Amino acid sequence: MIYDALIAPFIEFEFMRRALAGVIALSLGGAPIGVFLMLRRMSLVGDAMAHAILPGAAVGFLLSGLNLFAMTFGGLIAGFAVALLSGLVARSTELKEDASLAAFYLVSLALGVTIVSVKGTNIDLLHVLFGNILAMDDQTLLVIAFNATITLLVLAVIYRPLVIECVDPVFLRTVSRAGAPAHLAFLALVVINLVNGFHALGTLLAVGLMILPAGIARFWSRDITGMIAIAVASAALSGFAGLLVSFHTKVPSGPAIILVCAGLYVVSVLFGSVSGLVRQLFPGRHLEA
Amino acid sequence: MSAQLTFRDVTLGYDRHPAVHHLSGEVAAGALVAVVGPNGAGKSTLFRGIVGILKPLAGVIGLGSLNPRDIAYLPQTADIDRSFPISVYDFVGAGLWRRKGIFGGLGKDEQHRIREALAAVGLSGFENRPIGTLSGGQMQRMLFARVLLQDARVIVLDEPFNAIDAKTSADLIALVQRWHTEKRTVLAALHDMELVRANFPETLLLARSPVAWGATPDVLTAENLLAARHMCEAFDDAAVPCAEHAPSQAA
Amino acid sequence: MLRFVSIFVVALVALVGPASANADAARLNIVATFSILGDFAKNVGGERVNVTTLVGPNSDTHVYTPTPSDAKKITDAKLVIVNGLGLEGWLPRLVKSSGSKAATVVATKGVATRKIEDGHSHDPSDADPHAWQSVVNAKTYVTNIRDALIAADPAGAEAYKANAASYLSKLDALDRDVREAVAKIPPERRSVISTHDAFGYFAAAYGIKFIAPQGVSTESEPSARDIAAIISQIKKQKIPAVFLENVSDPRLMRRIAAETGANIGGTLYSDSLTDEKGPAPTYIDMVRHNIKALTSALSS
Repeated sequence: MIYDALIAPFIEFEFMRRALAGVIALSLGGAPIGVFLMLRRMSLVGDAMAHAILPGAAVGFLLSGLNLFAMTFGGLIAGFAVALLSGLVARSTELKEDASLAAFYLVSLALGVTIVSVKGTNIDLLHVLFGNILAMDDQTLLVIAFNATITLLVLAVIYRPLVIECVDPVFLRTVSRAGAPAHLAFLALVVINLVNGFHALGTLLAVGLMILPAGIARFWSRDITGMIAIAVASAALSGFAGLLVSFHTKVPSGPAIILVCAGLYVVSVLFGSVSGLVRQLFPGRHLEA
Repeated sequence: MSAQLTFRDVTLGYDRHPAVHHLSGEVAAGALVAVVGPNGAGKSTLFRGIVGILKPLAGVIGLGSLNPRDIAYLPQTADIDRSFPISVYDFVGAGLWRRKGIFGGLGKDEQHRIREALAAVGLSGFENRPIGTLSGGQMQRMLFARVLLQDARVIVLDEPFNAIDAKTSADLIALVQRWHTEKRTVLAALHDMELVRANFPETLLLARSPVAWGATPDVLTAENLLAARHMCEAFDDAAVPCAEHAPSQAA
Repeated sequence: MLRFVSIFVVALVALVGPASANADAARLNIVATFSILGDFAKNVGGERVNVTTLVGPNSDTHVYTPTPSDAKKITDAKLVIVNGLGLEGWLPRLVKSSGSKAATVVATKGVATRKIEDGHSHDPSDADPHAWQSVVNAKTYVTNIRDALIAADPAGAEAYKANAASYLSKLDALDRDVREAVAKIPPERRSVISTHDAFGYFAAAYGIKFIAPQGVSTESEPSARDIAAIISQIKKQKIPAVFLENVSDPRLMRRIAAETGANIGGTLYSDSLTDEKGPAPTYIDMVRHNIKALTSALSS
């Protein structure tokens, strides 16, 4: 009975196995990035980036028609440009990251809309770019697995400077030049994960599985390594459970996964061991020292 | 003794307004210098220039053969994100950066040194606490522990004893004394004149322009202090370019 | 000089004007509700008629909302050709509001109708209006239109009979071709999955089963259950081909095909013709295109 409900769908259907593989790869790559995004107060960057990639995709479309590879590549370039430029501006001027990013993504979006209307078509380009987790073909699976690997490798390299950069940026500036490159490498990782995530799985899943698990992790750990572990685990678990929900009901897969994740989030907000609401209301007896 | 830091007609400031105006002089190696002056006198600005965060508008700050990255700096208002989930141990461990770089593992030796540093500032047992749970005094001790670990030849402290209790001050001053006996060069910006008179042999009285610089008793005279107090704190929006401008060079 | 020129021009216009009006007046104004009927009308009426179509190519007749210019077209027409069987729910009101004195011919008169099978009902009486999908029925359409044209314009009776006869023989040939093509498909492979509920008559006439996919509809995002259901259905019933243009993501289609071994079919045209540049600008082209898509998906 449990087997039928929980395991059988994956044994029986290949698309379910692929979807599970896809969602696990996405969790491995996206969730750690999400934790850093949250800690740097950049959680809305995902949505901004979804719009920022438009001119890149538009140029790709202009040059090669509805060629997914060209459009994704164009989107990557546009995303990099926006992320890097806004990062540079934030570091060298008074403007903070959120305003800098907002400015650049809006410029990018306006450019994109202009390019598209000059061409004279009203195809919803962004819609074309966004994929579906139930449609994991070999190429897409490879891309997100590659993503996850690169992300983990680069994160391992920039981990220390990234952490110090978040906690005490002035200190890092006085002892090392690694701050700026680490930050820019991080932004590049964000763009890669987002663009490839959009392409493979759609905006909802790509952004959702980045940000929500980070929020969940916040309530269960006081240590960044612990947070990353919990974020990855909750993303993967949401993927597994969400796919099952979508399998047994009529809920589409992307929303199902995100809804499960959101459910975990609500549970964490209420019962989390770190500043969960119930803990705050009923703290229990205080300790001796 | 040789000069560790030299200032040649240094002007530092923001948006062309000088916060430190035409400072010249030397800090000898192994000196223990207090930098005092009213609010807005340019003490923090001067330190930022020394450490390399701020480029001079004019003049040269010479560090000799010292790499600015090997100066330990304790800033005034820490831009530290206290909500970040990092433990005291890991935060302090960053002090080993110059030695270990991005990848260097923290071996037994390093672990021992971190614990030692924490003990030296009286924070033994705090290793696993998240930094957000520390009080002001404990934060300051933690920052001192990190400076300890940096093991730097030149140490620059910006108002390190602001808003901490007497016991902590006393403990930390003892550390500063220790650095002095280890022949490290220490500069500290301070407000507490008693502390300065009791512990610092050399003082620079700054009120944007240097008012006096030398042995502490000679500098902290009533008339010098009065002169310093007359310094205008605000930038003058209608100011004209300074006549004594010399081309700047970065530290 | 100028005066001479202007008088000359006026005289010219006066001569030519009525002549062209005469030429126009000679042609019969006909309104057909949608492109397939319009195509039939042009073939039967030939040079003698001026056919206007209300619902143009690539458009959906079921949900069409008529405009004031449509009312005007009807007022100017002598004959209105409709499909009937509930396809044009919006028509009766349009005719009434246009106050037209035009005659109406229901092209499906005399056709043996079928009931709609799944829940997608166009009108209360539950008849399936897509009768033109069977070429045999199309012949009935053509004869009905021919008779209506003769009634509206007796002077052209000979022309209409001749045109209709020639077109009917083309339709006969088409019907034969379709049957031959189907015969070449092994009997166990004569089923497809399609979201079109418009091929009932085709299925009945030619023996290819059109099976509705369980679950997947026009919603943009199917759930895992929907996909699993289609895959199980295809495997269990050994359906060789899938025509699911409404499933917007081609990668999803390929996934279903890969997991079941089914072929992905091309596009099927059912409810309207395409424009000049498309693969189905006339009825005959449409049927040939459809049968070709079906046979190539089912034979391999």
